[in-house]
Amino acid sequence: MSTFTIPVGPQHPALKEPTSFRLEVDGEVIVNADLRLGYNHRGIEKLAESRSYIQNLFLMERICGICSNAHTACFTHGVEKLMGIEVPKRATYIRCLIGELERVHSHLLWLGVAGHEVGFDTFFMYTWRDRETIMDLLELLSGNRVHYCLYTYGGVRRDLDEGQIQKCLEAIAFLRERTAYYLNLGATEPTFVARIAGVGKLPKEKALELCAVGPLARASGVAVDIRQDDPYVGFGEYIPFHIQTDEGGDLLARVIVRAKELMESYNICEYILKNLPAGEVRVKAPRKVPEGEVVSRVEAQRGEDIHYIRSNGTEKPDRVKVRAPTLANWPATLYMLKGAYVADTPIIMAGIDPCMSCTDRMVEIADVRGDVKVWDWETLRQYGMNFHGKRKV
Amino acid sequence: MKLQLGAMVPEVMKHLFRRTATIQVPFVPHPAPGNIRGTPVMDPLKCIGCKRCEMDCPAEAIEIKKEYEYKNEAGKLIRRFSMTLYVDRCTHCSQCAESCPVDAIQMDQHYDHAAYTREELKFLYKPEPMPVVAAQPAAPVADAPKA
Amino acid sequence: MEALKIFAYLLVYPGLLFLFFYSTLVQWADRKLYARFQNRMGPTYTGFCGMLQPIADFIKLMAKEDIVPAAADKGLFALAPILGLASVFTAALLLPVWHFSANVQSVTSFQGDLIVIAYLLSVPSLAYFLAGWASRSMFAAIGSVRVLTLLFSYEVPLFLAMLSPAVLAGSWRMAEIAAYYQQHPAHILFTLFLGFPVAITCLQAKLERVPFDIPEAETEIVGGAFTEYSGRKLAMFRLLIDVEMVVGAGFIAAIFLGGFPGGLVPGFVWFVLKTLAVIFVLCLIRAVTGRIRIEQMVNFSWRFLAPVAVIQLIIVILMKGFLP
Repeated sequence: MSTFTIPVGPQHPALKEPTSFRLEVDGEVIVNADLRLGYNHRGIEKLAESRSYIQNLFLMERICGICSNAHTACFTHGVEKLMGIEVPKRATYIRCLIGELERVHSHLLWLGVAGHEVGFDTFFMYTWRDRETIMDLLELLSGNRVHYCLYTYGGVRRDLDEGQIQKCLEAIAFLRERTAYYLNLGATEPTFVARIAGVGKLPKEKALELCAVGPLARASGVAVDIRQDDPYVGFGEYIPFHIQTDEGGDLLARVIVRAKELMESYNICEYILKNLPAGEVRVKAPRKVPEGEVVSRVEAQRGEDIHYIRSNGTEKPDRVKVRAPTLANWPATLYMLKGAYVADTPIIMAGIDPCMSCTDRMVEIADVRGDVKVWDWETLRQYGMNFHGKRKV
Repeated sequence: MKLQLGAMVPEVMKHLFRRTATIQVPFVPHPAPGNIRGTPVMDPLKCIGCKRCEMDCPAEAIEIKKEYEYKNEAGKLIRRFSMTLYVDRCTHCSQCAESCPVDAIQMDQHYDHAAYTREELKFLYKPEPMPVVAAQPAAPVADAPKA
Repeated sequence: MEALKIFAYLLVYPGLLFLFFYSTLVQWADRKLYARFQNRMGPTYTGFCGMLQPIADFIKLMAKEDIVPAAADKGLFALAPILGLASVFTAALLLPVWHFSANVQSVTSFQGDLIVIAYLLSVPSLAYFLAGWASRSMFAAIGSVRVLTLLFSYEVPLFLAMLSPAVLAGSWRMAEIAAYYQQHPAHILFTLFLGFPVAITCLQAKLERVPFDIPEAETEIVGGAFTEYSGRKLAMFRLLIDVEMVVGAGFIAAIFLGGFPGGLVPGFVWFVLKTLAVIFVLCLIRAVTGRIRIEQMVNFSWRFLAPVAVIQLIIVILMKGFLP
């Protein structure tokens, strides 16, 4: 049976960021899927080597707009471990609050995008309108809607006062009932459920085998969450946390897991706001970081985010490596696409909450014959000129 | 859960009579909230020229230049520095204000910098011209300030 | 005098000019309602409350460059929008808005014009298919095949649902059907309560709006059958969709809601009111649902819509037996 190849990307209305898929399609069923990454590569890791640790705080934030705080948190925790400083408790609470507020805004964004990918635009508009509450709240606390710049070595840069705490509690109470409404809607609206129930099935063994992380894994029944396995900012010690999973393994399960995580985040935020300890919010941190290497992990909105930092005793890091959660979820996506309908492609891709800005780092492909090629600027330039010269473009 | 046809209809019909969530900027003024970080403003009288702000700025948007130095009547050495702020590079993170050990940089409330040329977005904070001090032989360091 | 009347009928009302301007009003009403349902503003700044926005969009599209892909079949590519537009404009002439006389049959109101208008309203789907097929592009090919599959699924329930009011009224002429329901309005509520929702759903599918905008699924196949269209031809397609909405709504209003009685001016008022009521219902359906897949649509229409339409037909036949 003859199949033809549909290109989805790099520019496609279904994708929010450039990715290149090649889907081999037989009628309306996808037979094979292939993936190409790298369209959003900006050289973050190389840039990080030529900037000081203080400048890198802001560089790490700009890896992604939606999970900006998660990357900063990961980096800061790693560097603080190298520096060997202890952060005051109030600062830990505020860090946790900002991380959970960011999770709320990201999951509301995802609900809207999922609605838009299946053509349910009203759902999209409503969730994004309610997301504005969180954005205004974050603007109130930190001065900016994205890239909060609240983290610094030794604590946080701003403190919360009574008026802000009151506003936060009101906003969270409002969002709680809106999220309950969206969860109800997502599970009872017939056209929405028809598009997401049974779509993109990822069984538990496959999720474990393909190393899925984040809500994708938790929706297949795999209870993995860095907040529980490798706690940071006080999870498990003084901030209560319960992992949310679902057994469905399909897109409906992912919607349910994210909605449940939203409710859990509201609980965490309310606990923090009501039990904020007194104290200072930062301690002084040295400018030069002692030698060493460290791996730090946080649970970003999309899954497990790993940063590896190696320092050589100067003000600038020696090597920084970032492994974003979406990179771990792509093999699972390719597995889910095989055997799915063409019409389900956008919602399956959106189901893992892809963030290409997070994902695209340097991947070194070793030649199977044994020689690893490293190209310098001149070779790359010459190759590009020959390539385009042959195609007469 | 049981499927319900037209689950959204009551909510959608209620919205017909509600005010829209749109804020019609720029026809309606929409001021920034009070605690935005804004743009750095430097006081040349306080600056000691340690260049920590220049080192710590993640966007390399600050240039500190030595304007002149002289000895005043009391015999104290006075150094004056100017700051060139490239506002088109500034990310409004206020790290410069934090790093400054003498609090020479304050943040104002402006975030809206739109201009037609890049030159308009180069803010220059210069100290006052060097005073002519009669008694002491002044030795101004000739660092021609960039226009 | 007759010639002047015919001229006005063809070109002014309900002909070209009226259709062009009224379809822009209908598009404005649809966009504004859709926006208000979603708590946003819709067109606001162009003209009074944004009423000139569809005309502005049309003019903008006419002024853009008209790109024809190199591999496309140029004749068919250019013919498809014109074919669709011609058929919906002709279908509009058959609406019983200003029939010269209610009791006398004329060239625009005759026995069987119900079937002719339904047939003419199916030609745009053929035009979409030809447009997608002539583009020779992957996304357009998928879109055009989906258009035909959709046509296959909604056409039979629509025809069945259309038959019921005609059988009850005992005529194949829309003007007579409308007159019958003006005299017996109770039938609309108590006998046709199944057929009306089926007809509205099938009209939503014919107009390819959410939840049935499968052929033009923006997030899946970019633009469906219209992917390669730009400039003037795309403006024609947009106009085609709007005019089809007006004619479809008028069609449903004529046979289910009692038509447009009273001659020229009252008929015009009734036309506007009833079509806007139908558009309100269509827009509400668009706002509260998401898009379904094509095989789900085929399932839904053959397992649910067609049997319900048949049941409605049975009810009507039984009613006709009991009526004096």
